[in-house]
Amino acid sequence: MTTDDPLVRFDGVSKNYGDFQAVKGIDLTIGRGEFVAIMGPSGCGKTTTLRMLAGLETPSAGTITIDGNVMNDVPAHERDTPMVWQSLALFPFLNVKENVEFGLKMRGVEQSERHGRAMLWLERMGLKGFEKRRIDQLSGGQRQRVALARSLVTEPQMLLLDEPLSALDAHLVIRMQGVLTRLQKELGITFVYVTHSQSEAFAMADRVVIMGHGEIAQIGRPQEIFRAPKTRFVAEFVGRNNILPGEAPGQELVVAADRMTVSAEQPEGRAIAAEFVSEEFAGTGIICYFEGPDGAELKAQVTEAQLESLAPEPGKRFWLSWAPGAEHVMEAA
Amino acid sequence: MSERPSAYPYVWRLPLLIWQGLFFVGPLVLMVAMSFWLVRNYRMEPDFILDNWDRMLGRGYFWDAYWVTVWRATLAAILASLIAFPASFALAFRVSETTRRWALFFLIVPFFTSYLVRIYAWQVLLAESGPINGVLGWVGLGPFTMLNSGFGAMVGYMTLVLPLVVILQTFSLANIDRNLIEAAWNLGANPRATLVRVIVPAAKIGLIVGCVFAFILSFGDFVSPFYLGGSKPPTLSILIIDTTKSGQQWPRAAVVAVMMIVTLFVVAFAAVGAAYGRRK
Repeated sequence: MTTDDPLVRFDGVSKNYGDFQAVKGIDLTIGRGEFVAIMGPSGCGKTTTLRMLAGLETPSAGTITIDGNVMNDVPAHERDTPMVWQSLALFPFLNVKENVEFGLKMRGVEQSERHGRAMLWLERMGLKGFEKRRIDQLSGGQRQRVALARSLVTEPQMLLLDEPLSALDAHLVIRMQGVLTRLQKELGITFVYVTHSQSEAFAMADRVVIMGHGEIAQIGRPQEIFRAPKTRFVAEFVGRNNILPGEAPGQELVVAADRMTVSAEQPEGRAIAAEFVSEEFAGTGIICYFEGPDGAELKAQVTEAQLESLAPEPGKRFWLSWAPGAEHVMEAA
Repeated sequence: MSERPSAYPYVWRLPLLIWQGLFFVGPLVLMVAMSFWLVRNYRMEPDFILDNWDRMLGRGYFWDAYWVTVWRATLAAILASLIAFPASFALAFRVSETTRRWALFFLIVPFFTSYLVRIYAWQVLLAESGPINGVLGWVGLGPFTMLNSGFGAMVGYMTLVLPLVVILQTFSLANIDRNLIEAAWNLGANPRATLVRVIVPAAKIGLIVGCVFAFILSFGDFVSPFYLGGSKPPTLSILIIDTTKSGQQWPRAAVVAVMMIVTLFVVAFAAVGAAYGRRK
């Protein structure tokens, strides 16, 4: 899906700002029609990577290839890489329809066709009747959809998204995730989605790229990243898991919270004694927090029925265990 | 159920109201009233005659001066906006924050010295035997008559308004959301289209304000048309001076002044309309 005929290739791409190296020689391929999320903490280089793809930053080293063409020296306005900004960057001096038509106008599409295509996209995004509105007369969700329509109206083969949902209310985020995944499937184009939110990345992406300190820490399907984080950095960033000492010195294991069993009596095999700290309702289950040996924070996901029978109280002692094979051995840092 | 409005906000507004009443509305009312007064034996007498209006607006020389002033102020506003724009653009987008701060400081420096002093300096520079003609003569050009001409007046207007126009334009350009400019590139706009379709519309209010300030200052200026423009043809401010000097005709000068204020109000309102317009 990704390697045979990729749409995008990063080969040893770096970006320096003076002495600071924002991106350190990354290699990455993105397939046609793939939904890739680039995820990492702030300052990890994910936005710089996206901006280099759009031509808004020039790589300091390495090559970026799109559709077989080296793009390093192609200016942003000659690329077909529309982007949705976190701030949306809608033009406040143009109305909704003029915003959507902008890209077509810049490409010299004539007025009647511009109008037709803009109206089609406005209708598709549920914005019919809003075409004459000013941007500041729209709600957050409506603006979001105008920004999507503006980027997609030129029928690009790839859409770049830079934390587009981080300014929205929580209930709108879930709805927009649905809108985005559906759009991506319907259009069959590549989405490159930058976010610091693992719930957004895991919910939507075919593949997740985890970045840290300008390097790619891991690339994989959401399940792989979650079940088998390569390094402690990835495991900590993904969260909802337990990082435990392994058998060999320096070795570390990770066990996802939903694979951890909580019991009042010591089970057979390996188990860790821990004191209950608190619980957190997490939709599909309840995450219980424990304090293990050496003050390590441990997590286990339980059902409501299990929680009731365990009747935990802060300070109460339990045993945490996992089935053989549920753990994953991480690479030494 | 109506609450008694608190006097507090009104107390705070009082100084401004007193100031405006005493130094703006009062003199304005007095000036409008004076335009209907009578002058007899070089002395003004309160009256209500239309004679001053009749005489001033009925004379060709008033309208000559009026259109010269409007034309020059318009030209100065357009010229200043055009000359200032590349400088403002460079300051807003091409230089570092520190350089921009220093540049804005140096743009304020001209206001430290008297405008009149700067105009006298231009008299020396632009003179027939002055240094500019000297240099031009050296390469075989000139000498050009630059003083006592429309050109001289325009040099004076630019001296007066350019620093302010650059400051206003720079602020409005520097405050444009950079994402808008990147979004324009991203959507296929080349640098020129980005400038015309995004940067200028996004900075429209500041650009219009700069242009209007240039118009207002040039329209009312007396120094440049007098000392560099040679007062021929006279502008409205020169006309006011001439009128007051000849036979104490303050009422007729008041007519000119009222006409100037009306013109500036019309221009200012039109500009505000243009700046904030198309916002339905």
